[in-house]
Amino acid sequence: MTEVRLDALCKSFGKTAVVKDLSVTVRQGEFLVLLGPSGCGKSTTLRMIAGLEDADSGRILIDGRDVTGLPPSRRGLAMVFQSYALFPHLTVAENIVFGLRVRRMDRVERDRRLHEVAAMVGLEAHLTRRPAELSGGQRQRVALARAIAARHPLCLMDEPLSNLDARLRHDMRVEIRALQRRLGMTVIYVTHDQIEAMSMADRVVLMRDGRIEQQGTPEDIYARPETDFVARFIGTPPMNLIRLADGPRGAVIAGDDAGLPVLAGPGDGLTLGLRPEQVRLAEALPETGPAGGPATDAGPVRSRSARVVAVDYHGPDTVVSAGIGGQILQVRAAGHVPARMGQEVRLSWSANAVHLFGADGRRRSPSALHPV
Amino acid sequence: MIGTPSRPTRAVTGWLLVLPATVVLAAFTHLPIVTTLIASLHSRATAIRPARFVGLDNYRSLAADPVFWKVMGNTVAFAFGTVPVSIALALAMALWVNRRIAGRGLLRLAFFLPTMLPMIAAANLWLFFYTPDIGLLDQCLGLAGLSGHNWLGDPSTALPCLMAVTIWKESGFFMIFYLAALQGLSAELREAAMLEGAGPVAYFRRVLFPLLMPTTLFVSINAVLNAFKMVDPLFILTKGGPSNASNLLLYYIYENAFSFNDGATAATLTVVLLGLLAVLAISQFVLLDRRVHYR
Ligand SMILES: Nc1ncnc2c1ncn2[C@@H]1O[C@H](COP(=O)(O)OP(=O)(O)O)[C@@H](O)[C@H]1O
Ligand SMILES: [Mg+2]
Repeated sequence: MTEVRLDALCKSFGKTAVVKDLSVTVRQGEFLVLLGPSGCGKSTTLRMIAGLEDADSGRILIDGRDVTGLPPSRRGLAMVFQSYALFPHLTVAENIVFGLRVRRMDRVERDRRLHEVAAMVGLEAHLTRRPAELSGGQRQRVALARAIAARHPLCLMDEPLSNLDARLRHDMRVEIRALQRRLGMTVIYVTHDQIEAMSMADRVVLMRDGRIEQQGTPEDIYARPETDFVARFIGTPPMNLIRLADGPRGAVIAGDDAGLPVLAGPGDGLTLGLRPEQVRLAEALPETGPAGGPATDAGPVRSRSARVVAVDYHGPDTVVSAGIGGQILQVRAAGHVPARMGQEVRLSWSANAVHLFGADGRRRSPSALHPV
Repeated sequence: MIGTPSRPTRAVTGWLLVLPATVVLAAFTHLPIVTTLIASLHSRATAIRPARFVGLDNYRSLAADPVFWKVMGNTVAFAFGTVPVSIALALAMALWVNRRIAGRGLLRLAFFLPTMLPMIAAANLWLFFYTPDIGLLDQCLGLAGLSGHNWLGDPSTALPCLMAVTIWKESGFFMIFYLAALQGLSAELREAAMLEGAGPVAYFRRVLFPLLMPTTLFVSINAVLNAFKMVDPLFILTKGGPSNASNLLLYYIYENAFSFNDGATAATLTVVLLGLLAVLAISQFVLLDRRVHYR
């Protein structure tokens, strides 16, 4: 069983605290993604788990064994580096069995392992080449093969796909995930790419400034962002965050003071969140009251008129940006949308699509949501 | 915009551009080589007898000259004695000062300091170490209750004394090249090796040393050529003595040319030295190139 527990880890470089009181439990066989913007301490955390960086305080337990003071080689884990860290003077085969060799595994078993992992990652044809003679994707595979050759039950990966082009990145995502399932490895995977995180993770730990902002399954994090930071970080395009203000009859969109309320109660300091795909786009109709739209099972539909400022056609869908009271909302609509710049459109959304964040950035409980 | 000059005009421009360098190179390198070669085929000129063509006579008498073979042997021994040691020392020092240690800058400076001294100054410094009875070496031996020794005057220690000075001076210089190479290596390689279970020795043997091979090639070629061209400390320390025990090829050339006034023999020796240097450089490139992995 390979369970990893990080217990109140702290790390500073000089006076800058980089990882602050971080506690996470990674379950056996889990694919855990450490996600966050660049510089938030993901790599540092991973390197502390690997033993390449000493923690200032806190403990690291692998399978209940405290490894905090152990050297990397005695922690029973493998790592894939962002730069791949292949040995340039060794062939692909020598790179893959490097660890087996220094650990003095006998030749027959070593060759068997080599061919097994080379087959898994599709490198059999390139075993005698040197890294300089390989493409980026092939180098990535060598790094992967080296990491799984020793059959460590825990594998750490630091942005392993960031040097590949988009197409290859997608293929490798699928392959890495399949490999992890097949070998039953526990993987801790670092990335700043939320698409990678959403598509690969069993569980996502979203970090910000050395702390955990939110953790949960990709569905969880997408459906219930706990803070406006998470809301902004996840999704392409990310969630629309609209500043609200007090209006005479309820909260209104800031800058659209004359408009109709979108929520009951005060609005100052609150932020309304709407996923772009949960906003519907229609041709402009005369402005109606709050209950104007057709009622659905999901509750009454809010609707607002807005002016198109940008149209971004992607093929399967179109992202239309529209302004309301100086704030821009992005709407994702299926297929091609023949919207023109400056055109008046009607945006509508159902009440249960609404997320609400307080002045502190934290999610407001649903009970605070009073549809008008 | 200036139009593209015609082909002949461009060729002329090209030749004009390389002309200064060509003239200097020809005047100070190529021409002397040729005149030396010619001089080595002529007899020694004296006040009453001008030089005349003697074919390979000079080479024959050189082959029969026991001093020449003594000097040759000394030079080879000097190369074997200084090159491996100074390279090993250079690598060891570079590995040491490449680590995160307190006072790293000072240490680097200390190791590099001998290189910055002119060889003549260094030799004078070491003269003070080697001086019988009052020198540092004998003083230290005296403290240990041992009697003094005439280090530079004893044929069995004169050459090793020269080697020590050379090693002391060269290894700091070679260290700089290793240090530069080490800093060009990615830290992730070391980390990857560590994660894969390689200890410091395995890392050095399987990763670091092979990756430093281009530097080792460069440094060893320079070291060997320097060893064969070594002359400066002889002027200060031993003058090639006692009885040629520490005489080296270049110093022997100097002696022939300016002490014995034998230009013909000096020219012959020079041709031999040039030939040796060329063979050494080429064979080292060929030999080591097979073991070098460039990225
Ligand atoms: N060895 C180091 N020395 C000093 N500062 C460092 C070092 N490593 C990382 N940092 C700093 O720590 C912060 C977090 O770095 P890192 O963990 O690499 O972030 P991430 O991987 O999330 O992009 C960054 O601000 C970075 O500049
Ligand atoms: Mg990073």
